[in-house]
Amino acid sequence: MSLEIAWLGLLGLMLAGYFVLGGYDYGAQMLHPFLRDGGDEQARAEKPEGGNAALDAIAPFFLGNEVWLVAFAGVMFGAFPHLEGTLLSGLYPLIVAILAGLVLGNAAVQLRRRARGARGRRVWDALIVFGGAVPALCWGLVVGLLLHGVPRRADGSFHIGFGEVFTPFVLVCGIATILLFAAHGAGFVAIRSGSEMASRARELGAKLLLGAGAAALVALLLTVFGSGASMTNRGASWVIAGALVVALGVAWWSFTGGHQVRAFVATCCATALPVLLVGAGHYPYLLISSAGHGLDIHDAVTDDATLKILSVFGVLVVPTILAYQAWSWWAFRGRTGLRHPSYF
Amino acid sequence: MSAAELARLQFAATTGIHWLFVILTMGLVPLVAFMHTRAAYTRDPAKKAVRERMTRFWGQLYVINYAVGIVTGLVMEFQFGLSWSGLSKFAGNVFGAPLALETLIAFFAESTFLGMWIFGWGRLRRGVHVTLIWLVALTAYASAYWILIANGFMQHPVGYEVRGGVAYLTDFGALLTNEMSLTALGHIVLAALTTGGLFVAGVSCFHFLRGTKETELFRSSLRLGTWVAMLASFFVVVVGELQRPIIERTQPMKNAVLENSGVAEVQRRLVEQFGPGDYVPPQGWIHLSMNVMTLLGNTISTITFVAVFLLWKDRLVRWRPMAWLMVAVIPFAFLASVAGWVVREVGRQPWIVYGHLTVEDALSHVSRASLIVSCTVFITIFVGLAVTNWTLITRFAVRGPDATQLGVTEPLPEGLPEQPTGGADDKQPVPAF
Ligand code: HDD
Ligand code: HEM
Ligand code: HEM
Repeated sequence: MSLEIAWLGLLGLMLAGYFVLGGYDYGAQMLHPFLRDGGDEQARAEKPEGGNAALDAIAPFFLGNEVWLVAFAGVMFGAFPHLEGTLLSGLYPLIVAILAGLVLGNAAVQLRRRARGARGRRVWDALIVFGGAVPALCWGLVVGLLLHGVPRRADGSFHIGFGEVFTPFVLVCGIATILLFAAHGAGFVAIRSGSEMASRARELGAKLLLGAGAAALVALLLTVFGSGASMTNRGASWVIAGALVVALGVAWWSFTGGHQVRAFVATCCATALPVLLVGAGHYPYLLISSAGHGLDIHDAVTDDATLKILSVFGVLVVPTILAYQAWSWWAFRGRTGLRHPSYF
Repeated sequence: MSAAELARLQFAATTGIHWLFVILTMGLVPLVAFMHTRAAYTRDPAKKAVRERMTRFWGQLYVINYAVGIVTGLVMEFQFGLSWSGLSKFAGNVFGAPLALETLIAFFAESTFLGMWIFGWGRLRRGVHVTLIWLVALTAYASAYWILIANGFMQHPVGYEVRGGVAYLTDFGALLTNEMSLTALGHIVLAALTTGGLFVAGVSCFHFLRGTKETELFRSSLRLGTWVAMLASFFVVVVGELQRPIIERTQPMKNAVLENSGVAEVQRRLVEQFGPGDYVPPQGWIHLSMNVMTLLGNTISTITFVAVFLLWKDRLVRWRPMAWLMVAVIPFAFLASVAGWVVREVGRQPWIVYGHLTVEDALSHVSRASLIVSCTVFITIFVGLAVTNWTLITRFAVRGPDATQLGVTEPLPEGLPEQPTGGADDKQPVPAF
């Protein structure tokens, strides 16, 4: 396997990791007003000011999750600098929206409990929802655009405007993603909280999945009728799209049957697969204008010497990262409750 | 404003604000780590309780600041790709590597471990918990190193060669030991410690002025803060002077402006070297900033030097004007360091990569309209966050250790301060191992 492909794989891993981990954060953020405890007596006694099951569930992992996005951008700059410059400046309005949402949402999650009165907290609460919904929607739009292709100019740069974003396919991708992330968040809250809350989260998750599935189906139909994705590798794309449909189905079925761990595993797959679809479906192109044209991996990758140096570090650092992230998941496993410091 | 000016404004404003958070983070984290270690390994239960509360009090202020530092950093990470795609076209092969390594080596560890530290009170074993905060400190400094490697390359490119208008990395060792990066790192680390020290000392003085009951906690903090600020501010001046000869060798124009002589002569030489163009950076800004930095630097050094002597027998807090002065100098370090960056960054204009690529040439093809929107959005959000951050820090600093939320397992009752217990974490030692 060549170094380029290994680094493309790592870039995909970072983005997929971010979709899975950041995805449930955004889902929990969007759902947090609907998943407060306070329903049952015990919860109210434990947390006089009305605990928040959704935010407690994500809290210990929150900082570690968001950094996958930072690492994605870093790896892209290090290994594929020519992709970074084109992609980010081309998607300018969407990236700015994502960043604005992220900044406000992240700050709100971390500072919500520092607010003094109920009014301050309501502002933060609203920002938490905003900061989950905007990135989720916009990442969906980005995925839609990348699948469909972007209007590249002769010099390789491109620009998106309303005309590119407001097409049925791209919009449907956005809607599918926001619903999927929300369902994924519900699944995470379900495995982290007490039984009453968990069943409420499961119900919500199942409903959201129906919506996500319907939107994904429309995207698929649009593609079949020629105004959707234009994939370079048809075979691989069909397999991945099929896997996505299966993952959504399994997740829905597990939610309704009360198997929340299985449901969460399935939504993890469903959030990661779009990344694989973009990567494998277009390989060797990283950015297409239409199937079989665009910026390919050789144009995008950094110089060989740099890649070798990066690889030396990568071999050491990436397993270490995975190890300590896994350690942090292990250390804070289990359900949230009284014993958990609830700082966020 | 032109697109280039907007992009510069956006970059300068966002980095500048990011920096204001980062410098306090970098200054506080070693002090918090030190306090935590001391608390964890104290036997005497009464002393241990005080030290634990001390750790949680300063730790909480640090964590509030960190929250905002991270979110502004997120925006930074995307800025190069958003506005300066010419930079990645020309220097991506060289410049991208340190940024990639920064995220993989430093940020990943920093965020993960900080999350574990925040939620680890009463859950993790003592040794593990203390190690986590030291790892956070170490990785914060590692990230400063990598970002300065990138910045140093822009200031004084080394370890590369240009083929066909694109820079290629030829000597990674030279890149990592760029003197332009390393002296700056030294200066920055000391500047951060000065800031952290002044902050701890000033807030402690404030509590004495208000007649706090927590004398032991704040006396101990005051000593630590004053000593750190005194030593660091002495050496920040020394290292600052050490940067001058390097500038003289590598950036003749910045040097001429700082010396205020020979600007016309250097301009003529640069025209000969690089072709026609205006190579004189905005001189007024640089003079003003340099003066602010040196003036404040010397003031801080002098005040903290005197303060260290006054620590003896608590004279520092008994003599109220001096105590108020310690509160008043807290912002000085922030001002000085922003001024320092203006010297460094404005002084290298018109280059984005010194001698190779000008700022104008590096600009992305982004429309003015988009830039106006994004500039407004980012600056509004960042200023809002800065105000929120400092309001919250002030509020929690003023409320004192009783109102600390960090490390308590049950949320504090609304409005009421927590009972001064011996720290919540010795109540329920349930290690997760
Ligand atoms: C607490 C903050 C602080 C204080 C008191 C000082 N500095 Fe500073 N200075 C910084 C914080 C800083 C900084 C923000 O950290 C900079 C920006 C870039 C850098 O390397 O450090 C900086 C840059 C900087 C530069 C520009 C380097 C370049 O362009 O490459 C010079 C020449 C000095 N400093 C010199 C001094 C001198 C002579 C000082 C004492 C009288 C001094 N600084 C005090
Ligand atoms: C954190 C402290 C920093 C501050 C306060 C700061 C300040 C500034 C200022 C004032 C400018 C505008 C200069 C002008 O247009 O006249 C600028 C530009 C810029 N800086 Fe920094 N800077 C900082 C750190 C960095 C670092 C660490 C990097 C790179 C790794 C960097 C990269 C750039 C770039 C790419 C530009 C835009 C191009 C230019 O105008 O030169 N800066 N910065
Ligand atoms: C002198 C300049 C800089 C220093 C010393 C510095 C250092 C730091 C530190 C210590 C943090 C941890 C958060 C905090 O302390 O509040 C941080 C956050 C961050 N910085 Fe900077 N930074 C600088 C400039 C920049 C620039 C120019 C970029 C753009 C590439 C950047 C990207 C980031 C990112 C992405 C984060 C968030 C990391 C996370 O999610 O954990 N920083 N920076």
